[in-house]
Amino acid sequence: MTAFLIRRLGFAVITLFAVLTLVFVLVRIVPGDPAQVILGDQASREAIEALRERLGLNLPLYHQYVVFVWGALGGDWGTSMMTGRPVIQEVLNVLPWTLELTFLSLVIGVVIGVPLGVAAAVRRNRFTDYAARIGSLLGLSFPPFVSALLLLLAFSIGLHWFPVISAKSGSLSAWVESITLPAINLGLITAAYITRVTRSAMLEVLQEDYVRTARAKGVPWSVVVWRHALRNALIPVITIIGLYLGILIGNSVLTEIVFSRPGLGKLIVGALNQRDYTMLQGMMVIYTLVVVLVNLATDIAYGIADPRVKFK
Amino acid sequence: MKRHMILGLAVAAGLSAGFGLDPAHAQKKSLVIGMGSADAGKLDPHLASTTPDKGLLNYIFNGLVRVKPGQASPDFIEPDLAESWTTNANGTEWTFKIRSGVQCHHGYGPFSAEDAAYSIKRASNKATSSYSGDFAAVDKVEAVDASTLKITLKNPVAGFLGYVANINGGNMVCKKAAEEMGENFGKKPVGTGPFQFAEYQPQQFVKLTANKQYFRGAPVLEDITYRYIPADSSRDLAFQSGELDMIYGKQDQTWVDRTSKLPGVKVKAMEPGELSALYLNITSKPLDDIRVRQAIAHAIDRKAIVQFKGAGSSREAVSVVPSGYLGTDEKSPLYAYDVNKAKALLAEAGYPNGVTVKTIHTTLTGMQTFIEAVQAQLKKANINLEIELVEHATFHAQIRKGLSPIVHYQAARFPVADVYLTQFYDSASNIGTPTAITNFTFCNVADSEIRAARVETDAAKQKALWKSAQEKLVTNVCGIPVYEQLQLWAWKDNLDLGYELNGSLNLSPPVTEKTKFTK
Repeated sequence: MTAFLIRRLGFAVITLFAVLTLVFVLVRIVPGDPAQVILGDQASREAIEALRERLGLNLPLYHQYVVFVWGALGGDWGTSMMTGRPVIQEVLNVLPWTLELTFLSLVIGVVIGVPLGVAAAVRRNRFTDYAARIGSLLGLSFPPFVSALLLLLAFSIGLHWFPVISAKSGSLSAWVESITLPAINLGLITAAYITRVTRSAMLEVLQEDYVRTARAKGVPWSVVVWRHALRNALIPVITIIGLYLGILIGNSVLTEIVFSRPGLGKLIVGALNQRDYTMLQGMMVIYTLVVVLVNLATDIAYGIADPRVKFK
Repeated sequence: MKRHMILGLAVAAGLSAGFGLDPAHAQKKSLVIGMGSADAGKLDPHLASTTPDKGLLNYIFNGLVRVKPGQASPDFIEPDLAESWTTNANGTEWTFKIRSGVQCHHGYGPFSAEDAAYSIKRASNKATSSYSGDFAAVDKVEAVDASTLKITLKNPVAGFLGYVANINGGNMVCKKAAEEMGENFGKKPVGTGPFQFAEYQPQQFVKLTANKQYFRGAPVLEDITYRYIPADSSRDLAFQSGELDMIYGKQDQTWVDRTSKLPGVKVKAMEPGELSALYLNITSKPLDDIRVRQAIAHAIDRKAIVQFKGAGSSREAVSVVPSGYLGTDEKSPLYAYDVNKAKALLAEAGYPNGVTVKTIHTTLTGMQTFIEAVQAQLKKANINLEIELVEHATFHAQIRKGLSPIVHYQAARFPVADVYLTQFYDSASNIGTPTAITNFTFCNVADSEIRAARVETDAAKQKALWKSAQEKLVTNVCGIPVYEQLQLWAWKDNLDLGYELNGSLNLSPPVTEKTKFTK
């Protein structure tokens, strides 16, 4: 297990380094000039050149790269070119918002998706199955910003249950008010994924010999389904959750924008629009780190779900 | 088990519904504004270049002079931090009498001529200001005594007072605070205005509180929350639900129509109009042939564009300078809409079967719908406009590299003809040169008039020079002005701004010490 972890972490470092380099090059290939964005469209060429000089954008590319990597190795991600605030601070400011949204929508996704998937598999080709399949298909095809607007229209404008600006904090009730709709919005989409994967995994397992044996032995049906079959169907579900967590962080940007919540997604889109090189570099490394860590956690979760999995 | 889960969900939903979920209604002394951007940028008045940042800073800072709240024309310039001013005969020496008893925010002490001198030097410095170019003519700035500021110019400057008004580089900062904070000044801006900076929450809001010591009197409002809500629809919904008292509108007529129908709401299309014009690179083929340029000008139907954009929020362009500016020639005719003439001109130029021209264009919605409408109009005259759509920052970079023979630009500037003419038509502003700003046309036909008008001290002669410059630019089809987009805002009708709103130079309605809720 330890050797496995060390090896995986080693790979993680290599991945991070590759992403770091790729991002450094990519942001500079894309047309657009941060100095122009900062100074606005009335600035003269001279003023822009002066700012480029100050931001170090006139240095040769290899020089900028060395400065960037050296800083990054020392834990210094630089300061945002636009706001002048440290990248780390900008990220930490909004990270909790993204984490709570991601985590809660995942919980909602699992709580709805797994039972629904099991129910659909058990009642295959009956009403429950059709309903679950149609429902999850809808969930997958609905763009998150449309469902977000519909939720706002129904629950904020129509029923006045929740605020439109879902970014309150301070008290538990304010937090619940703010997180509910965004978490439901993302959670339903997550649930759609999980339902479909759980259903197909369960269908396969339910046809195994040991399920028939268990039933023949007189084990109650619910115990067969929930304890024996589901446990064995969980591996693909965990995989999809792991993979989806990465996507979820990215997907959250639309939810953040419509619900007016702070978040990493908004930060990275803003940085991209403004060509905030330092910010983009720092954020991409953080995203990569998250994806790598989630994958690692997924691998470990396999072992917990299925004791036969060995860490080699 | 499944039943338990469903039950749990139901309980959770019920619990959340049980908390005080009435939308937060703004209190009568708290104003909540919804702005169309994702976050605050640089809150340093000498660096801020975006509408959202400028609008907010306007509540915090004063100029030496100001444009009367609610107006957007230099005709309405009135005293601000300077009580009075005098100038010598040729306008190269300006002496301002600074108001006494003005206090800087957060206990930074009284505002004096020393602070004013520091501010102008700061705004003139390339390292600390985006607007250093505006102060290129400034030779010397000195605080003669605590209440006297003297500015000496190398040459007269058209509409000089505009540069020391409460916008851009004219905003007055407090010296002690600016020196103490250095580059961090934008994180906690210190000015003298009716509201002072209190709090910033990333991607959420900036909060300002009333400056009780404000020299025009303590504001009626206690605080302003300036919320960043980039999605137009979310801003609209939050306004509808009562969470916002005033919003920046989607710049689109359908928004005006829809929002005007809401109960208890005022919608305003205010000055200044941003001029939407096509700039033709006269050195590129086939635009180097004036007949092709004339054909394009004749093929554009300004009236139809205004109908398309909405009569309540836009109007036809009158000149290469937006209407209402000091020196705009509103009388001389532009090219009339005439498809047959356009075709004839093309044939004469050797393109009887039509011609293809290219533009690199931004994906900003309002601008994109315009260029597509123009494309459809040009097609009728056998002019095929190829549109290459790119994202906004890419657009700005590529047009400045001369990659787009036709550039569609939409902008408002300080309302003196010189500013627009200099930035868009003086050959010194040609893209690619060290002094480049936004001359995409490479036209130099009006250089002598533009430059002479800049230093002309006789108002009538100056106006004549500007008129002649505009006529030449129109005749030579360097730019094709098409329409002007007004600024759209909405607010609750229980909010009394405290002045009549016709316009605002920074494109956002001012909030003053008199702004209040009536109920």
